[in-house]
Amino acid sequence: MDEWKPNPTVKPHKKRSWYLAWKYKLMNQRALRKLCQTGAVLFLLVTVIVNIKLILDTRRAAYEEEEESAQDYDDEMLNVEAPRHPVNNKKVLDVEVYSSRSKVYVAVDGTTVLEDEAREQGRGIHVIVLNQATGHVMAKRVFDTYSPHEDEAMVLFLNMVARGRILIFTIKDEGSFHLKETAKNVLKSLGSQVAPFLSWRDMWTFVGKKGGEVYGEKHAKSPALSTWGDPVLLKTEVHLTSVEDAECHWPDTELNRRRKRFCSKVEGYGSVCSCKDPTPIEFNPDPLKDNKVFDVPVAVIAGNRPNYLYRMLRSLLSAQGVNPQMITVFIDGYYEEPMDVVELFGLSGIQHTPISIKNARVSQHYKASLTATFNLFPDAKFAVVLEEDLDISVDFFSFLSQSIHLLEEDDSLYCISAWNDQGYEHTAEDPSLLYRVETMPGLGWVLRKSLYKDELEPKWPTPEKLWDWDMWMRMPEQRKGRECIIPDISRSYHFGIVGLNMNGYFHEAYFKKHKFNTVPNVQLKNVESLRKDNYETEIHRLLGEAEVLDHSKNPCEDSFVPDTEGKVYVMFIRMEQEADFTTWTQLAKCLHIWDLDVRGNHKGLWRLFRKKNHFLVVGVPASPYSSKKPSSVTPIFMEPPAKEEGAAAVPAVAAAEQT
Amino acid sequence: MQKINRNVVLALLSLTSLVFLLFQLCYYKFYLSQKNGAAFSKVRGSQSGQDSTRWHVVRKFLGLTSGHNIPVYLIDPLILGLVDKDIEQIRSSPDGPSPECKYFCAPRDFTTFALLDKTWKHEVGLFRTAEKMGFQWLKIINKDPRLDGMDDLSGMEIPLHYIFKLASHAIHLVVFYERSGNFLWHGPLRLRQHMDRKFVPFRKLHFGRYPGAYEKPELLLVSIDDLKVQIPKNPSSFLEEMSHSRFLECRYREARAFFQLYPDDASPDAVEFRKKAKSLLHLAALTLNNLGVKFWLSSGTCLGWYRQCNVIPHSKDVDLGIFIRDYKADIIPAFQNAGLPLKHKFGKVEDSLELSFQGEGDVKLDIFFFYEEDDHIWNGGTQAKSGKKFKYLFPKFTLCWTEFVELKVHVPCETLQYVEANYGPEWKVPVKTWDWKSSPFNVQDNGVWPIDEWDNVIQIY
Repeated sequence: MDEWKPNPTVKPHKKRSWYLAWKYKLMNQRALRKLCQTGAVLFLLVTVIVNIKLILDTRRAAYEEEEESAQDYDDEMLNVEAPRHPVNNKKVLDVEVYSSRSKVYVAVDGTTVLEDEAREQGRGIHVIVLNQATGHVMAKRVFDTYSPHEDEAMVLFLNMVARGRILIFTIKDEGSFHLKETAKNVLKSLGSQVAPFLSWRDMWTFVGKKGGEVYGEKHAKSPALSTWGDPVLLKTEVHLTSVEDAECHWPDTELNRRRKRFCSKVEGYGSVCSCKDPTPIEFNPDPLKDNKVFDVPVAVIAGNRPNYLYRMLRSLLSAQGVNPQMITVFIDGYYEEPMDVVELFGLSGIQHTPISIKNARVSQHYKASLTATFNLFPDAKFAVVLEEDLDISVDFFSFLSQSIHLLEEDDSLYCISAWNDQGYEHTAEDPSLLYRVETMPGLGWVLRKSLYKDELEPKWPTPEKLWDWDMWMRMPEQRKGRECIIPDISRSYHFGIVGLNMNGYFHEAYFKKHKFNTVPNVQLKNVESLRKDNYETEIHRLLGEAEVLDHSKNPCEDSFVPDTEGKVYVMFIRMEQEADFTTWTQLAKCLHIWDLDVRGNHKGLWRLFRKKNHFLVVGVPASPYSSKKPSSVTPIFMEPPAKEEGAAAVPAVAAAEQT
Repeated sequence: MQKINRNVVLALLSLTSLVFLLFQLCYYKFYLSQKNGAAFSKVRGSQSGQDSTRWHVVRKFLGLTSGHNIPVYLIDPLILGLVDKDIEQIRSSPDGPSPECKYFCAPRDFTTFALLDKTWKHEVGLFRTAEKMGFQWLKIINKDPRLDGMDDLSGMEIPLHYIFKLASHAIHLVVFYERSGNFLWHGPLRLRQHMDRKFVPFRKLHFGRYPGAYEKPELLLVSIDDLKVQIPKNPSSFLEEMSHSRFLECRYREARAFFQLYPDDASPDAVEFRKKAKSLLHLAALTLNNLGVKFWLSSGTCLGWYRQCNVIPHSKDVDLGIFIRDYKADIIPAFQNAGLPLKHKFGKVEDSLELSFQGEGDVKLDIFFFYEEDDHIWNGGTQAKSGKKFKYLFPKFTLCWTEFVELKVHVPCETLQYVEANYGPEWKVPVKTWDWKSSPFNVQDNGVWPIDEWDNVIQIY
């Protein structure tokens, strides 16, 4: 017991005697030694007990901690997942699919997941994708395969669906007229026996697993051209697999957790949910040097077109200089799927209870979104406004960063827009060139806060006025003679072909051939010349050096402009007063540019490119630039063709889509 | 031999068990002694005091946030109070080692930190790391007030408070948001049904009883108790600000209901007046804030805020209140320098003072001075042509912050009583014809100015 350490609190001399006495006793008294031994054993026991208690406490604390944090997650999960778990513990799903001329429906375990009996709507093949582990609806689509090209879209969609998903097909009205061989083969490869022979007005239902078994198929042939096949009702059972089998095994990172959440809910987004080689959802584009728009909030205005939103956000997040923290997506309505897309990219989204109808609804959504944007970012002087059906150019933010100071300093400016209404493949050439125009193009633009707060917001059209917000913004009462800055080559691309005022034909005619900049880091040319007075000097310089074209030729013909490159040409058209666009409209029509209303003008001057030459059009005598017309030249006049009924109505509707 | 062996074995065993036990005690103290932490640190008899639980928890927390690049700053009123006393010394020696643990070792349940929302990205990683470090954490979320004023927008709920608990100490992290009007806002702390009400003694928290409004603070990196931490550059002014930081949200829902009953006037005149009133209010606020004079929205402007969260378009002027004790002679020249000429001045500092300035385009700025009595507060009015005096009585009130037309301004906290005193129980119904001498609910005749004082108490320009 030599190593026994003395009690430091006891005084030295006392301690020594006590210690000696104790030692003596210990050495000599067996009984005491025994006692001491017992004491030591007891001491050991206490240690052991303390130990055990410690272990128990640690475990309990750890357990509580887990439970605590688990609860926090639970709460979030519950909110989102709860409505999607109606059939969680079942192993078998009862599926009912009905196909007929005027009605289709699909019920899963007694819950109707699709019902369409609206007239003149929903024609074609309806496709529903179910999660093979949970039975949740992951995607719902209808492909009007009575019309051309829709079968291609269907093939594209079916190819994107992950293996193992459950696919349900049903035809409403007619679904075979434009169902081509390729599409039929895809259906056949899914296990359909009937698909290759599907014909005019047949009724058809099919349930199968992608890359696996067939759960059922029913078909009713149409007896004659003028009649439809009998309605068919398919009832079948689908066996669910385990959740593990239905999920991919990506490394556990924050990104992949978002991906997993997304991919277990929705289908039809292609390689983002691929198990082997998923496409990235974080892009980390190069930052911009001296980025003046890094702190400018970006409002993305969205409806219920989640696939569009997905494409749009991908391009936006890939643009150089993007700051994801400043992006807010405003969804018009309580749609889940667009919100899922927003969450996939880790952005913030806000849903908006729809107010009013049609165009007024869009208008109210815009107002709410803009107000909210400036509330959320009270320091911001500007906001970038984008829509869900736009591709964003890689140098979008670079373009804005170089030009935004103009909007701050030049009161005669209304906006900066990324879109040139007249910038088609054959009429735009120079990515570094900017224009001033009297029209407001929209489609990716910057709004000044003071303009919104002081002028627009207080008198924004109320819900009962069924106005388009953009048409309203273009009205002289709002625009007050101010202009917008636009690039020659657009920094956004309008890809939406489904929309309020939009359809495939319209898109093909007016949007498809729009030029879109793909060059990064374009250095804009002479930005200072865009200021109000500088621009006039610039135009006069341009007109001074421009070669006057031969006005005896037909301006619609290609030979009107010589086969040169990099020259400046000018032509004069007749324009009696400021609002006389008769000749311009005809010219725009034959040049295949925007002719539905007047766009891209500046004081009776239009600037575009033809055959890689800068091409100026001056309206005489309304334009102040008319003085540049040599006296020998007679302005060209083009007469509109004899008016057809209805021709006038089209522009009004179509123009509205320029939102 | 045997005997010696037994003794040696016994001694060794006892020794190891003793060492073991001591080790256990230390371990116990660090990680698990939630209630007995203090007791254990006494056992240790620590001299430096820096091993107290609180100091360790704060150090860990600062390590956690700096590891995730989250710029938190200290707003704990008790510590800032102590720091303020030694502020000169702390400023002058930002890196010096401190001889003793002065600030972070006093046994408290909480230490409070602040975080500016826009300076971090809401990464989940932070919480994972926190859990690994042994923190338990609680997040308090609620609606985003910046979207509250909007029709039917439902944004994501935003985090307002976090509590990180380790051992017997908890860190209260208050999240500040930027609001229109160039100020910072923090939300109230409200527990939801399923939340653990005993997670920490919530009642003892210094922040969260009410929402609060603050200026954006300038920060200073200091080293106190050997911890590097950001604090407000001027702790005493922060503490002063904190003592009356209570914030009232506008009653957006009621305002919407009001506009359902009485649709808003969106005529060009109304738009124009609102624009002018807003810019006049901004100018007035700037002028008075520069002078350090506290003011609040009064009369019609206050009613507009309370009833419809906007300027009442037919009110034709902007009304502010100022306590007479805050009166400064500089007020009149300051407004004149700001481009607002004095239109009239009624009364005198001792009695019924009222100033009126001419704003841009017919919009008038009225400033009423309020006199405090034992059981009420009043302001005066004067009729120019007759010299008649009026008195408007209000129940006592305190001042709260609110956001109005992109401005952080004061309103009476007891707004309903204030508005009802002024406009009566029918204040919800818009009245277009208003006579300041007879319409107010709380007006009283207050005699007539003596003729010989008229030159002084009735000045019209």
